Amino acid sequence: MVRPLRNTWLRHLITVALFAAPVGAGAQSGGSAAADTVDPLGIAMSAEEKRDFPKAVAAYRVVLQKGMTQGTDNADLIAVALLGLERVWAETGARDSILPIVQRVLLLRPSDPVGRSIQLRTLVGLGRDDDARQAFLSWRRAAGNDGAPYRDYARLLISSGRAQAADSLLTEAGRTLGRAGMISSEVAQLHVALGRWNAAAVAFRDALADQPYLEAAAMFALARAPAPTRDSVRTVLLEGPPTLVLRRLMSTIELAWNEPRRGWTALSALKADDSSAVAWREFGERAEMANAWLVARDAWTAVFERDGDLDAQARAATAALNAGDAASALAMARREGRGNAAGKPATRVAMLVPVEIAALGELGRAAEAQARLDAAGKDVDETTRAMLSRPLVSAWLRSGDLERARTAVAGSDLADDDETVGWLALYDGDLATARKRLVRAETRRGELVDALGLLARARIDRSPALGQAFLALAKRDSAEAARRFIALADSAGTAPASSLTIGDASPALLALAARLVHGKESMALWDRIVASHPKSPEAPEALLSSARALRDAGDKAAATARLERLLVEYPQSALLPQARRDLERLRGAIPPSPYAAPHDS
Amino acid sequence: MDTRVSFPIASGRSVLRAVAQVAATLVLGMMVLARALPAQSLLVPMDDGQRNHLKAYGVTFAALKGGLKAEWLLNYRGGSFLLADTPEIRRKAALDGVSLEPVTDGVVASMRAEIAGANMDAVVLERVPKIAIYRPVNQPPWDDAVTLALTYAGIDFTSVWDDAVMKGDLSKYDWVHLHHEDFTGQFNKLYLAYRDAPWFVEQRDRDLATARAFGLNDVPALKKSVADNIRGFVEKGGFLFAMCGATESLDLGIAGLNVDIAGPYSDGTPPAADADAKMQWTRALAFQGAHVEPSPYINALSDIDGHQVNVAARRQPLGAFTLFDFSAKLDPVPAMLVQNHRTVVPDFYGVTTSFNKAVLKSGVTVLASEDGAPWVKYIHGDYGKGSWTFLGGHDPEDPQHAIGSAPTDLSLHPTSPAYRLILNNVLFPAAKKKPRKT
Repeated sequence: MVRPLRNTWLRHLITVALFAAPVGAGAQSGGSAAADTVDPLGIAMSAEEKRDFPKAVAAYRVVLQKGMTQGTDNADLIAVALLGLERVWAETGARDSILPIVQRVLLLRPSDPVGRSIQLRTLVGLGRDDDARQAFLSWRRAAGNDGAPYRDYARLLISSGRAQAADSLLTEAGRTLGRAGMISSEVAQLHVALGRWNAAAVAFRDALADQPYLEAAAMFALARAPAPTRDSVRTVLLEGPPTLVLRRLMSTIELAWNEPRRGWTALSALKADDSSAVAWREFGERAEMANAWLVARDAWTAVFERDGDLDAQARAATAALNAGDAASALAMARREGRGNAAGKPATRVAMLVPVEIAALGELGRAAEAQARLDAAGKDVDETTRAMLSRPLVSAWLRSGDLERARTAVAGSDLADDDETVGWLALYDGDLATARKRLVRAETRRGELVDALGLLARARIDRSPALGQAFLALAKRDSAEAARRFIALADSAGTAPASSLTIGDASPALLALAARLVHGKESMALWDRIVASHPKSPEAPEALLSSARALRDAGDKAAATARLERLLVEYPQSALLPQARRDLERLRGAIPPSPYAAPHDS
Repeated sequence: MDTRVSFPIASGRSVLRAVAQVAATLVLGMMVLARALPAQSLLVPMDDGQRNHLKAYGVTFAALKGGLKAEWLLNYRGGSFLLADTPEIRRKAALDGVSLEPVTDGVVASMRAEIAGANMDAVVLERVPKIAIYRPVNQPPWDDAVTLALTYAGIDFTSVWDDAVMKGDLSKYDWVHLHHEDFTGQFNKLYLAYRDAPWFVEQRDRDLATARAFGLNDVPALKKSVADNIRGFVEKGGFLFAMCGATESLDLGIAGLNVDIAGPYSDGTPPAADADAKMQWTRALAFQGAHVEPSPYINALSDIDGHQVNVAARRQPLGAFTLFDFSAKLDPVPAMLVQNHRTVVPDFYGVTTSFNKAVLKSGVTVLASEDGAPWVKYIHGDYGKGSWTFLGGHDPEDPQHAIGSAPTDLSLHPTSPAYRLILNNVLFPAAKKKPRKT
């Protein structure tokens, strides 16, 4: 057992005897005058950086000697010197060289946490398990009721995979020290290492009551919980009256689990105050980054309800718009702000009017959008005005007013925009121009890809009927669009072979229509493609889509038959890997998907 | 009189054109003929030309199940299969994404000539082996590599558990598989870490109830009795394949049938102090002279395992193991067991990862080992009228698989060489030839 030395003269004698001799030639050659004028710590760190390790060792020893012999012990200096020596010797492969030095320091400072920690770390790292255990026992005796020896040793045991030894150690610590030992974090990490997720959640919950700085550690640890154990983590963290730390932790973990809606539910239960508003803001930002727009909308709405500020209002409205909820985006953009946070009128117009116009456009209220833009007047600068021309054109198209849309384009930069001009041409039935311009469009939205595919298959230059079908799509009237696509496909079947029809595009038209409708109607169209156009590229798609619809409806046998047909009759189809995987999952030959669909509503 | 007969002499160019036309017609005709006539056989290549090695075993199994014969071409293109060309097999292969090569009798003849002149052989597979997997009946397949492989490949099996084994049901099967069961009855020494986990409690209660149902006092007594029944199955001519912890613990259970080798948490008493001396290794299948680990706090059953993954101070890093070459004509059984498109395979941990050479019985055939290491990975041997094969490790495609890890999706590893080793074992009892030892 190591006992602390209490006589000052003896301490100094030992210090000088133990540290002076091995200082090394480098330090000695400088002489006492040089040592007084040059900072040995600077020399040590500089030498370490230059990888001049012998010089660094010598200088760190001087620093250590200095720390030990000054009038009052300089704990910081001793710690820096010991850590420096540990680093340098680790670099030179002489890791165990630190042990005698630490031993000497501990003779004088038996409860020095840095020295103890280094000693334990080194012994565990060297695989000297018995010595490590002895070092731990010695530290425990010296530390009294401090939980540090247990914490350090347990961490080392956990990180070296000895979870069971750590379990015994922490059980003993809990029994000996109780809560005063502050070992809940280590206990929690231990439970994580052993896969006891419920116990880990309990331990972290308890630890966070006294040590809120452990929140990040808890998040990273608990976020690794496998899906089947997550409900038990939720139960523990959501138990009792909501507290900021636990709810914030739960919401962050839910985001990591791809469950943003659950995350917001956890956080929204907090009473509205300054701290909660900060947490809601942070959550709103993270939800935006995760593209969980409906959740982001709710978080920003909560912030706005409490603070009434313009930024939250604009972000809530934008999030609603991005989520496809134009009505609530419009309502939010039109709400009044409160106090200074509401911003100046010009700022409000600049931030909210674009969202308002875009929302009106989505809702097909083009005249209202135009009126709003006109009313905003000079509060909307030229750049913003130009930016708003696209949603305005969309708004006119949505309302089916092709003429006004064309007028809006003519007065803006969109007159040179390939995509806008291409769409207008297509709606007019001018397939040649549409084909030429749309192919140069910069975006690759789904409907654009569909249109390009169809234009490539329809080998004619003009078809007002096809233009009307796409215009119905732009008006979001999917039923009318589907009806028109089907009618076009029907007409292709009855037209004389020599006439200029879009006959080649019939299966593509039917596939487009099938994607727009649902249930039996969709199934009938997929079946028609397979029956009437078995050699078309849409046939395997029809089999796969109809198989998935049947599977979702619970008809596994019929779904299996379709997938098998696809695999056997279309061996060259690019859809084969998807079909095979679907089939294997239907047969239970591979595990169900571990990834649940994200919940964003 | 001029008796010469004049023949219309074609110019050189027109002759060439005529010859080319005839040749083109012949080639076209042959192509049409080749398309029109089915090939006589289907080669299932098992080298890198195969897209799904694992399901290829399923296709072969399906052919046997359909009453057809199959041939296993040992060492020919990674251990290929030769099947009759039927629409059913073509359909099954198309559904499973298995590569097939239609071959004519002429091509088959030249293949046979090549096989005859090299270290290759053709083994006839003619019957569907009856397969049993030792596992709880309702357990999902995702935590047992063999169940996983058979389920993915579409090979039929029956689940059997302690009660069936104790009633002697193993005699109904040709081939029995064991995975990570602990036949010493110590629950793989997971008591300390998982004693409160619901699955652990359920497993302990279930095993205890079974033990009592058979008049036994505790789980170690039950599991050792089950192990001895399995030994009897092999002795009477059965094929046994074991992986992971079942390999080591089976032999410990058999050799320690009458010795207390279990910790106090499983049978209420500490292990016998002289357990090592009392072990009856002559009864065991593969190992001898091993040291039984008496401490309940050390997560190892004995020193049979070379890697000791659950004992940090003893854990050895993973390397790669090399499959041995065997004479296909003289040693067909080991040759069948190592058929593969790779010879060096990355290693993977398990409760038992490998087998120390020092504790192997002398008659054991080593099928794969790690160069320079004191352990081997894959072993085989005869016992009584039957034979056994042990493969160390838990899941070949999840080298550090832990309790609670996500299940392995084999559709992401359709060409896994280590999973092939498992499936070699499944088909090997279907072989017609009597094994001939060198």
